[in-house]
Amino acid sequence: MAEFTSDDRGALREALRRLLQDHGSEADVRRTMITDSGHDPALWRRLTDMGITGLLVGEAHGGGGGGPIEIEMVMEEAGAALLCSPLLSTGILAVGLLQGLGNAEAAARLLPAIADGSRIATVAITGTTGTWTEAGVGVTATRSGEDWTLDGTASYVTHGQLADVLLVVADTPDGTAIFEVEPSTAGVAVAALPTFDHTLRLARINFSGVPARVLASNRPAWEAVQEAMDLALVALAGEQAGGARAVLDMTVAYAKSRVQFGRAIGSFQAIKHMATDLLLETESATSAARHAARCLAENTPDAAAAISLAAFACADAFVTTTATSIQMHGGIAFTWDHPAHLYLRRARADAQLFGNSNYHRERYVQHLERQS
Amino acid sequence: MSINPTDAELVAEVREWLAVNWDQGRKHDPEWLGKVVEARWAVPRWPTEWFGRGLGDAQARLVEREFKAVGAHGTGQDRSNLWANTALAYATPEFKAKIVPALLRDEVKMCLLYSEPGAGSDLAGIRTRADSHGDHFVVNGQKVWTSSAADADYGMLIARTDWDVPKHKGIGFFFLPMKQPGIDVRPLRQITDEAHFNEVFITDATVPAANLLGTPTQGWEVLQTALAYERSLMGDRARGPRSGAGGSTGDMIGLAREAGTLGDPLIRQDIARVTALRTLNGLNNARAKADLAQGSSSAIMSLGKLAMSRILHEEARLRTSILGAASLLEGPQFPRAEDANFLTLNAYFTSIGGGTDQIQRNIIGERVLGLPKEPEVDRDMPFRQVRSG
Ligand SMILES: Cc1cc2nc3c(=O)[nH]c(=O)nc-3n(C[C@H](O)[C@H](O)[C@H](O)COP(=O)(O)OP(=O)(O)OC[C@H]3O[C@@H](n4cnc5c(N)ncnc54)[C@H](O)[C@@H]3O)c2cc1C
Repeated sequence: MAEFTSDDRGALREALRRLLQDHGSEADVRRTMITDSGHDPALWRRLTDMGITGLLVGEAHGGGGGGPIEIEMVMEEAGAALLCSPLLSTGILAVGLLQGLGNAEAAARLLPAIADGSRIATVAITGTTGTWTEAGVGVTATRSGEDWTLDGTASYVTHGQLADVLLVVADTPDGTAIFEVEPSTAGVAVAALPTFDHTLRLARINFSGVPARVLASNRPAWEAVQEAMDLALVALAGEQAGGARAVLDMTVAYAKSRVQFGRAIGSFQAIKHMATDLLLETESATSAARHAARCLAENTPDAAAAISLAAFACADAFVTTTATSIQMHGGIAFTWDHPAHLYLRRARADAQLFGNSNYHRERYVQHLERQS
Repeated sequence: MSINPTDAELVAEVREWLAVNWDQGRKHDPEWLGKVVEARWAVPRWPTEWFGRGLGDAQARLVEREFKAVGAHGTGQDRSNLWANTALAYATPEFKAKIVPALLRDEVKMCLLYSEPGAGSDLAGIRTRADSHGDHFVVNGQKVWTSSAADADYGMLIARTDWDVPKHKGIGFFFLPMKQPGIDVRPLRQITDEAHFNEVFITDATVPAANLLGTPTQGWEVLQTALAYERSLMGDRARGPRSGAGGSTGDMIGLAREAGTLGDPLIRQDIARVTALRTLNGLNNARAKADLAQGSSSAIMSLGKLAMSRILHEEARLRTSILGAASLLEGPQFPRAEDANFLTLNAYFTSIGGGTDQIQRNIIGERVLGLPKEPEVDRDMPFRQVRSG
């Protein structure tokens, strides 16, 4: 991993914030979210130029050599701006998986194009159950000689309809394995799923007798998948913390300016107390996300616990903050043109991806049990 | 119609009438409602001069029970028809004679012209003006969040008639004809992606003086009556799922069974907790009704809307939990997700519309619990001097 000084990080955050102010404004988000692809290729190129799409890719493969701390920070900004992009799928989940497999050939073949933004990858994990566990995998691989074919269904595949390359998690007689498939291969049917969060793209992908290249791994492949999801969860935690902060700021600013009964509504204790609770939620989410990123970067013994904690604490904080914000705004936030619902939609989506809060609380308590 | 009937006589009369007039599958259209009004079943609590029978609450409920038993609508409007009740209480006899039967027959469409960009919770801060010109008033201003304004025939309007008195004291309450040139209704897109509510721009619209309810400055009092009906309705019922895919609003067990999560102990706990909220609200309401039937009113009445708001938000959260990842989706292909997401958003209709939860809590704290009032800086100053925003 490359060494990022705190100055480097500060500069990256600042540059990204400015980029998103200029090219990822609310108006841009609204324009992008109604397109089929749900992302803006011009903005994607700018993100590439800034080193964001390849931030996690090792320098040997043309990336920035960043780690969890840097990506968590980037995602705070992305969450605040409701960035519409496949970054989570390609630059985080797929990169995490490819780097975790320990398959040098696949890494060398796929990572440079992911880093330079020219190819978009994603990982198909869960089937129609949407549980993101090994038992939830919905694709089966069968072998005949050296050749593998895939059958079954993967669902809730993030940015599946945008991907140039699919990394498919599948059951084999010898356990989980990862397969590389081009979506254009005969037998692959990619169906876009309509999402409540219009800034997200999800797909259901059917495989029927699809020839696929197995990506050999020097470790149990599910471990690598879990690790990639943990990285994605840290990134999501950052997005949730950043989103919550943007909503907090917006809501507090409104409470200072909106006058009813001859005074700013923020002078009413009901509103003041809600605002204060949102601050606590937001700060806790930020701490949880950054702590998880640090633990993962340093690979501390309690990293898994920190990630599970961040996963549910940040998910719940983002949902609570956005939901309360609508109430605190009154009628204005019940309109489509107000951004509050866009954040609520994003928060509800983020709270489901890679396992919901109940699931992560259970994981967390299992870590606590082991530690006790 | 018998005078002072016994319960048995009343029930016999309504049953016989329904047996003759009601048949299953009949539409609840103005024609049917006209029959109900004519037979004095629409508003049995009201006085006999106004389509009623002067019945007490307990007997009126017997009538409602008989209607419900056969699936007929149209009675109980003395509780549920906020427009007709407000008109009955305050309209001039001539206007009442014209509007009340039409309202009871559901022949005129209505909307509520209360909120303005600068006056939501603080409704007494309205700036729409109604200036008297003898036999009519001229109205200018802007209303917002006006549900169903697009096809309304009349709006119940609050507008300022006197700017030199404190804010609650200079308001008039009108039935404003909506189909006239000075009224421009612009739909607003809601977070549910529907457009039920609107902005209403009013420019030199006119309203006959006969459409004024109460005196030109009695509007705040009239409004309190109208709001009480509205809030009690919102506490009683709320819009259910939009998908129409079946499953009653509260059937979380059915939903969890279908989603395959009924065995999950966390979901089971949650279902118990959330279902209890609806059940307890029902029990509260039943107790309040019993009190009312005996002539005493209950503090519970004012809790209904606040309780319903919590029920709706919690049920939507539980639905999401039951569905898990499926709640990521929307659209007609995914009716359960559509329901969970729609209900999550639409819950704000009840927690913001008709007075926010925070305002409801203030009102209950002050009027029911008798807690000291929050000081209101602009309560007693002439409205001209009040700060707006
Ligand atoms: C779906 C929907 C339909 C509606 N339909 C209609 C309609 O048909 N006709 C109509 O006239 N209006 C309608 N409304 C408007 C509704 O009545 C107002 O939105 C509501 O009263 C709140 O006013 P506001 O939106 O201006 O919010 P504000 O009054 O600005 O409130 C903003 C926030 O401040 C809080 N607040 C304000 N004052 C206090 C206080 N004293 N103490 C504590 N907290 C306070 C509120 O609770 C809220 O959280 C509708 C609203 C919605 C959402």
